[in-house]
Amino acid sequence: MTGWLRRLFHKRLTEERLDAELRFHLEQRVGDYLASGLPTEEARRRANLRFGGLEQVKQACREARFEHYLHDFLHDIQYAFRSLYKARWFAFVAVLALALGIGATTVTFSVLYNVVVDPFPYRDFQRAVVIDLHDLATPPHDIARYHYTIPEFLAIRDQNRVFEDIIANYQLNVLYRDGKGTRRFLGGYVTTNGFSFLGVPPLLGRYFAPGDGKPGTPYLFMMNYRLWQTEFQGDPKILGKTFLLNGKTRTLIGIMPERFNGYGSSLWFPLDLSPGADGTVFPVKDPDVIWVCARLRKGVSLQAAATDVDVILHRLAQANPGGLYPQQFKIVARTLLDFVVGDFSGTLYVLLAAVSMLLLIACGNVANLLLARATVREREIGVRASLGANRGRLIRQLLVESLMLAAAACFAGCLLAYFGLKGLVAIIPRGPIPEETVIGLNPAVLLFALGIAALTTVVCGLAPALHAVRGNLPLRMFGSGKGAGSSFQHGKLRSGLVIAEVALSIVLLTSAGLMMRGFFTLTHVELGFDPARTLYARVARTADFFENAGKKALFFEQVRKRVQSLPGVLTAAISLDFPPLGGVGSEITVLGKPSSQHWESMVDLCSETYFQTLGLRLLSGRLLSEADIDSARRVAVVNQAFVRTYFGSEDPLGQKIKFNDFDQLPETPHDAYFEVVGVITDFKNRGLVQPVRPEAFLPHSITGLDDRMIMATTAVEPKSLLPSVQREVWAVDSNAAVTQSGSVKDFLGEAAYVQPRFGVITLSAFAGIGLALVLIGIFSVMAYSVALRTHEIGIRIALGAQHGNVLKMVLRQGLHLISLGILIGVLSSLGLTRFLAVQISGVSATDPLTFCAVVVVFLAVGLAACFLPARRAARLDPLVALHYE
Amino acid sequence: MEQEKVEVLKGTLDMLILKVVAFGPIHGYAISQRIQQISRDFFQVPEGSLYPALHRLEDRGWLQAKWQETETGREAKFYTLTRAGRKRLSAEMVNWERLSEAVAMILSTAE
Repeated sequence: MTGWLRRLFHKRLTEERLDAELRFHLEQRVGDYLASGLPTEEARRRANLRFGGLEQVKQACREARFEHYLHDFLHDIQYAFRSLYKARWFAFVAVLALALGIGATTVTFSVLYNVVVDPFPYRDFQRAVVIDLHDLATPPHDIARYHYTIPEFLAIRDQNRVFEDIIANYQLNVLYRDGKGTRRFLGGYVTTNGFSFLGVPPLLGRYFAPGDGKPGTPYLFMMNYRLWQTEFQGDPKILGKTFLLNGKTRTLIGIMPERFNGYGSSLWFPLDLSPGADGTVFPVKDPDVIWVCARLRKGVSLQAAATDVDVILHRLAQANPGGLYPQQFKIVARTLLDFVVGDFSGTLYVLLAAVSMLLLIACGNVANLLLARATVREREIGVRASLGANRGRLIRQLLVESLMLAAAACFAGCLLAYFGLKGLVAIIPRGPIPEETVIGLNPAVLLFALGIAALTTVVCGLAPALHAVRGNLPLRMFGSGKGAGSSFQHGKLRSGLVIAEVALSIVLLTSAGLMMRGFFTLTHVELGFDPARTLYARVARTADFFENAGKKALFFEQVRKRVQSLPGVLTAAISLDFPPLGGVGSEITVLGKPSSQHWESMVDLCSETYFQTLGLRLLSGRLLSEADIDSARRVAVVNQAFVRTYFGSEDPLGQKIKFNDFDQLPETPHDAYFEVVGVITDFKNRGLVQPVRPEAFLPHSITGLDDRMIMATTAVEPKSLLPSVQREVWAVDSNAAVTQSGSVKDFLGEAAYVQPRFGVITLSAFAGIGLALVLIGIFSVMAYSVALRTHEIGIRIALGAQHGNVLKMVLRQGLHLISLGILIGVLSSLGLTRFLAVQISGVSATDPLTFCAVVVVFLAVGLAACFLPARRAARLDPLVALHYE
Repeated sequence: MEQEKVEVLKGTLDMLILKVVAFGPIHGYAISQRIQQISRDFFQVPEGSLYPALHRLEDRGWLQAKWQETETGREAKFYTLTRAGRKRLSAEMVNWERLSEAVAMILSTAE
């Protein structure tokens, strides 16, 4: 055995030795014959006769050896390489198709896996759940809240029988003052079990332990990696130091690692829930600010957990009716994953479905190419069989060829997957994805896709091989290997494959088309103002939510006037938030209209310049005036939706509305009715998709509640004004911080467009790739079919068929395949696009325009793909065609 | 009297070769002569079977080959039995004995 390698590489020597051995034998025999008295000639003749064919014996000897198999294998590879090179277009297309399929599937699945299946580095996060309270009175059972009060949390914690562990947390602004000035970070109070709950060890120091945060203990805090890097340059010496945060001196006890974004904050304070502990006192009566997350006991279902909590909260609701609790509510538990990733997993699943279709199309295409090729090769195989190649050998050779094709495709597929993933990660929206997510190539899926591709290639490469070597091989040589339908029945199979490909491609195209239409609708929602020329800057004055109303109003009016006078600014306004995404809601009461129903309106607090700045048109009455703001009058401007919903055909002007949520808050007018003085047109105020909600606009000076937004329409790029705005804010008060700023266009891009754009781009890319593959498929089948019918077409032309007739005949055949595929595709799309419905907005899932456009486009390009082969058929020279056989 | 010459039974050629080589280094031609002689010209080993068999046995590691001079001073390929080949030979002989006994038994009782 050891000699086989040597023999493999010293082939000449081996051959010489074999020759010498056999010649020695022959000469010995001749010698014996001579000794027995035969003449030389006769001795030689007899010896040769007895020996048989020298070459055959040599070949048998070679085949007896191990290296012979290797040798054959190398030879097969050489041969396969040669034959693939001869058909390099075929090989290129096949490899490209498979590589695209492999690459796209792997990339999409990798993203899906990392985002939806395994995004968090946290312990048992699959069992982590959040609890939603649904109001049963509102029709779609809206989530009324998923935040709770401390008593509610304690009740759930102590009375439940379904959770292994449960944590509470809430976020707050943290103002940090050092020598340089005031900066604001997002902080969070977290129950002391909050870090052991997630099970990620700290990078430095320790995390909270029971007892931290108890009244009388020192104030502590922890920091996340990003804040540590950006503000403190990753200096490990800050551990154990004290910081002045929100006016309290706190000691830094730990820093969390990079891949940790629990509780979405930069800093964490320990939350001990015993009475009087730090962070448990609120200025509001029923502060439902506590975000609750729990880990289910093993084997407990979401349903069971919800039922258990439902009982506890209903008991609380009975003891404290009204206020916090809608009249009828139920508790729904959902996984933390669902809470964080939400709708985005829908987009990813759609892409996964799309990409599976792409893989199928790619495989179908390659199958088709291989089948077509196999038909042509029948003749070649016949020739080789009759020249003495045995069947095993022929099969092996075809197998090697398929394997080489598969190997090339797998290699190219890996490359595509690697670079494709890099590209996708660059455009993927970070918003809906948990920050801890690390998107990497998923090896299991790559292997799966490679396996599918290799299997397709081998099966499709081998099936014809097996077919071809069955039966009487040498006869094939004489029979017309190219006679249509004579020996190979793959014609139907190939047509079927093309029809299936067309259908799949139609499904992909309609989906992509619908997504595009939806995206177009979304980006062309009438906003009333130009988001590219509108600046926003959120300004925070205090860490607290509340401030004296007069002081706050004065500060913001000063800032507004300074911003207004900046060069490049046309108008400036103050508001609580801005459309179409922001806004807060409140329960309302209309004077003289007692209602048992829950009436609600959005509330904005604004300056008199707000309407002009955002282009909100007055319909009746008047807008807010400077005097309204200055003397904090209790007046309100409402939108049409408000009038429609609560006043019907009555005159809204002069009606009085109370905002019940104000009664719960400090620094707001309690028991105050606001007189409606004007009505403005509707505009999108609850996202770009949702219908307009009732909204009321009040003078911002009536309350010291919350941060304010400075809005400005500009004559220049808003971003260029941001430093000046910051300067003006500090000029009025060096303790105020601009927390968020930019152009509204960029904000919308981040918040509203990124996710749908991601869907549109990727799905369109898949649909485009799919279309290209299918066109190649149609082209190859038509070209092939023309090649098969050369003889027949030649006769037709010889008998007088016009070029036009032949052209039509071939096109008709193509059209037949395409239209059948389109029909099936459209029918499946009608059934399938409803799964897309949640992904697209403003467009019906069976939008006829999209469907028509897809069909027309497909017919056009499909026929174009048939045209080249058809023209070739029409231009056939009958003489050449008839000689063809 | 011309004796009928029989081709070696399929499957037994390997054993015969191993047995003949077991006596000492020997080249291909001598092996074929030896088998023919010992079987008193009953077996004739065709070259077309002998040489592939030799190469196969060498490939399996049962035979070892070396180029040496014959007594007439010519270079020839001499085969010797390896340790593995010796084992193989005894295993095959045991098998063969069992087989021939069984065949003999059937033939003697079937009459």
